[in-house]
Amino acid sequence: MANVLDLRRRIRSVKNTRQITKAMKMVSAAKLRRAQERALAARPYARMISSVLQSLIRRVDIYDETTGNLRHPLFITRPEKRVLLVVISGDKGFAGAFNANILKTAYQFIAGNGDKEIDIEAVGRKARDLMRRRYPAAVYTEKTDEYGGKTMVREPRKGKVEVTGDYPGLLLNLETSRVMDLAHSIISRYVREEIDAAYIVYNEFKSVIQQRLVVEKLLPLLDIGSPQITGAVEPSAEERERAGEAALSAGIELEPVDTAEADEEAKKFGTANVDYIYEQPAEELFAGLLPQYIFAVLYHAMTESVAAEHAARMTAMDSATNNASEMIDSLTLYMNRVRQAAITKEIIEIVSGAAAL
Amino acid sequence: MAGETNQLRVRLVTPERTFFDRTATAVELPSKTGHFEVLYGHAPLLAELGAGDVTVHIAGGLESNSPDAARYNVSWGFVEVLPDRVTILASDALKPEEIDVPRAERQLERGQKMWLEAGESEEAYTEALRVISEAEAKIASASDARH
Repeated sequence: MANVLDLRRRIRSVKNTRQITKAMKMVSAAKLRRAQERALAARPYARMISSVLQSLIRRVDIYDETTGNLRHPLFITRPEKRVLLVVISGDKGFAGAFNANILKTAYQFIAGNGDKEIDIEAVGRKARDLMRRRYPAAVYTEKTDEYGGKTMVREPRKGKVEVTGDYPGLLLNLETSRVMDLAHSIISRYVREEIDAAYIVYNEFKSVIQQRLVVEKLLPLLDIGSPQITGAVEPSAEERERAGEAALSAGIELEPVDTAEADEEAKKFGTANVDYIYEQPAEELFAGLLPQYIFAVLYHAMTESVAAEHAARMTAMDSATNNASEMIDSLTLYMNRVRQAAITKEIIEIVSGAAAL
Repeated sequence: MAGETNQLRVRLVTPERTFFDRTATAVELPSKTGHFEVLYGHAPLLAELGAGDVTVHIAGGLESNSPDAARYNVSWGFVEVLPDRVTILASDALKPEEIDVPRAERQLERGQKMWLEAGESEEAYTEALRVISEAEAKIASASDARH
């Protein structure tokens, strides 16, 4: 039987751990609040871009009347042979099953598309580390063409699945220019026919209790404005309840903020029932707007994923704090029992000693 | 003349947030094909914006340096003009005093280098020109603010 001193030490150490997990939970809650605000602030732009594109597509045929060509190469659909998968995970651990679930969904997607060649773009450090370990990185070499211009040429594939890029630290500040770079790189690959489709795997986040893991189709553009979700994993009722409890104790709103009015307002952008004068020809408008649309979808996915990561960490840390409290209680109980047993033993010794006299 | 009813509602929205939402008498916009100004009652219009300054005239004054005008540098944007409303979507918006001039100058150098190295590729030229015009617009906007 352990002695009282050892138990006291253990209780002290568990108390320290509880303090740390509690602090981490509060930090995550504060970060979550900020991430939620950012996701909310980013919404009008995304809504406006998609509504103006929708209205443009309604008014202007995506095929040119005279030449019969598509007005923008992103409208082309090809049979899916080569697929790009953007995996958005978290940067850090200690977030429960958050990263594991995202990667599991990504692996399932890869396994389900075994006949296709898949390129992976890893956003977030966890996705990068694990994808790198599992799949070879694509190799590019610089080639000089006959005019002296330099182009990057991709070497033959080493496997069906390759990691083509990663973006360490992107989720930390979510700089729009870097997200834009990713959007442009995806578009140029699609236009060059290096890929036939693009998907994003990320954790959708409407509020702490309304979130799910989704696989969203980014390209080809079929129906602008409504997300093309091809796969979704809902959290279990138990997980949702845990997340709700954690949010309540940290003072986070459970219901998503009502933005219906602002959304309605944003939806009106470029859709008024009048004949607009188009300053530029439709081709140019599409060329300017479509990259912004792709950007907006990616940015939206990233802001939501960041919020979801903080929410997951908050929940995990709340559970850890609760577990630590329970452990302290049971250890204290045990310690008292041990102490009582020692006292009882001493009394018996004294009494039996006295009786022997 | 400029009564309450003749005010435009101007909104500038960037990917990160709604930058501002206010009323104004006139807005100057840097369209891809040239600058233009919008007053109350303008015909409905959709236009793509290039790199340049968006100037919002708040009350009366039409001088772009008057204290009643607010100027913002944008590098790409899209605008919807309705008779009583102007909504600008911009990839980013900076006040002239917020512009990092040395950084813009470095961007200009990079653009010029890209232009020299573009070779025969039309795409590379367009990209280089875009970088150059963005940098030039930033520098011009920042230097206007100082005078």
